[in-house]
Amino acid sequence: MALIVVADDEFLLTEMLSAYLEDAGYEVLTAANGQVAFRLVKERRPKLLITDFMMPLMTGLDLARTVRADREIADLPILLVTGAQGTIARRHAELFQHILDKPYNIQQLLAIVAELIGVP
Amino acid sequence: MTATENSAEWRYAAGKRENFQVQQFRHTASGIEGLDRVLNGGLIDGASYIIQGRPGAGKTILSNQVAFSRAAAGGNVLYVTLLSESHERLFQALSTLDFFDPQKLGQEIIYVSVFQTLRDEGLGAVVKLLRNETKRHNATLLVFDGLLNARDRADTDLDVKTFVAEVQDQAAFVGCTVLFLTSTRLEDNSPEHTMVDGVIDLSVELIGVRSVRQLQVRKSRGSAAFGGLHQYEISQAGVTVYPRLESTVACSGMIDENIENRRLSTGCPSLDDLIQGGVPQGSITLLAGPTGSGKTTFGLHFLSQGSEEEPALHFGFFETPARLLMKATSLGIPLQKDIPDVFEIVWNPLAENLLDKLAYQLLGWVAARKVRRLFIDGLGGFERAATHPSRLVEFFATLANQLRGLGVTTVMTWELREIPGSYMTTPSAELSAIIDNLILLRHLETDHTIQPTVAIQKMRDSTFDKSAHYLEFTEKGLIVGGRISGRAQPISLLDQPRGL
Repeated sequence: MALIVVADDEFLLTEMLSAYLEDAGYEVLTAANGQVAFRLVKERRPKLLITDFMMPLMTGLDLARTVRADREIADLPILLVTGAQGTIARRHAELFQHILDKPYNIQQLLAIVAELIGVP
Repeated sequence: MTATENSAEWRYAAGKRENFQVQQFRHTASGIEGLDRVLNGGLIDGASYIIQGRPGAGKTILSNQVAFSRAAAGGNVLYVTLLSESHERLFQALSTLDFFDPQKLGQEIIYVSVFQTLRDEGLGAVVKLLRNETKRHNATLLVFDGLLNARDRADTDLDVKTFVAEVQDQAAFVGCTVLFLTSTRLEDNSPEHTMVDGVIDLSVELIGVRSVRQLQVRKSRGSAAFGGLHQYEISQAGVTVYPRLESTVACSGMIDENIENRRLSTGCPSLDDLIQGGVPQGSITLLAGPTGSGKTTFGLHFLSQGSEEEPALHFGFFETPARLLMKATSLGIPLQKDIPDVFEIVWNPLAENLLDKLAYQLLGWVAARKVRRLFIDGLGGFERAATHPSRLVEFFATLANQLRGLGVTTVMTWELREIPGSYMTTPSAELSAIIDNLILLRHLETDHTIQPTVAIQKMRDSTFDKSAHYLEFTEKGLIVGGRISGRAQPISLLDQPRGL
């Protein structure tokens, strides 16, 4: 099963997103901040990273930069999901495969995931 | 001295914090002017406050308003949530408010949730996270929404006390102000209450059928806040606090300085003749009478004497501006409404008004326009706005003193209900002490005709014609006629509702 790491400090959002992704057939691991997310990505080598922007310890932007700077995992597809930081994120659009604005339509997100890593 | 992970340093810092507080209290404006007045200076830098109130009381709006104000002034804010509505929903709700600036999100103000840390690692880990995030972001304001949740997670009271103490101390160490938001009304002797520097209570009370929002500073270490209940409202402007007038507006010594020894014409020469040329400058005149006795017309005469040197203001609750202007026109009373800054009408319909808000509105206009002739129609409008009528005497006394201090000559109306044999000529005995002059408009019944009359009941420190006179309503307004002879009886209009 394809592994996806979901990073967001908001517990309810990660729970909900995980549930939808798991229902769709993916395996999901969650992280509450950028640092934990990076560790999971390094250790578990997921197929996709879905990350929020505003998080404690390390923002989604810094997480993406750190991932891209690490040769072993630099090719990881990253989907950024953000509410307020859309504009800032798009200035660094090259770091992300896709930037999705909150609030998003879950079907739309699932379609983007399928596009990026296929359907399980 | 830099902050480190070493907890011993934090204990040292805790001891030091008392010294910080004693030496200097630097305040930063909260962004809510009325709140700063109630706090007597704003939020103290590095101090910790509990904002408590049930859901819906306005804690979130208040704390965000403070946050955005801090950000606008160049400071950084860390807004920490536990398990609450999603940040997106919060932003959506805030986006309707004037203070919200989406540019600040993720920049000056960052919102993070620490629920997972609390759940998986406990209070100690949250404390550490807050320390790191405050440092990383260089925050001078930390908002922690969810003190209640922290309490639930604690095994004992000591854990909560430790949590609050540690968060408080590490924030104070870097000069960061903390707002703990909680939905429970903490008892005054709760551990959280004893630790923090201030407790601000927001409540929504049902008074009669009205929903009234009230703010109370239950604790204020380091500054003499104004206690008791202050009303606030939530609108597109966010939270607006109206400090209780009689407690927060100082009785300044300038009250007597602005009084000049002269008279202001009432605009009605025949009335001026009864009172030595007019009302004394700086005095407060109560014009009391039943409906239809001429009070509004009197006001128009009084205000028609307005000029650039004596700007006039009509502050009323009953007649709309259009109606007033029409009345003045039909009576041929000139109001200079086209000359800017000479004449103004401020109308507050008799709805659910806030007493202090009315006072600040009035005083604001008076100060801005340098109003010298003020007509308040009527006292009842203020009275009806009061949720606690027992305040009214002190409220009016303060308002009167402020008006005097601003050099205003005021005429206020008071609606009377005519009861046979007895007249309630002032709202209360104490209030009559504030009233300098009392003009009574009464209806007499002669030969089954209702005859309006006018009588001067009181003129402070001056003589006046003590007899009652006929009052004529003419095409040119009011004219005071001759003295009334012996026989006429005061009219009895039983059970007539006031205000009609």
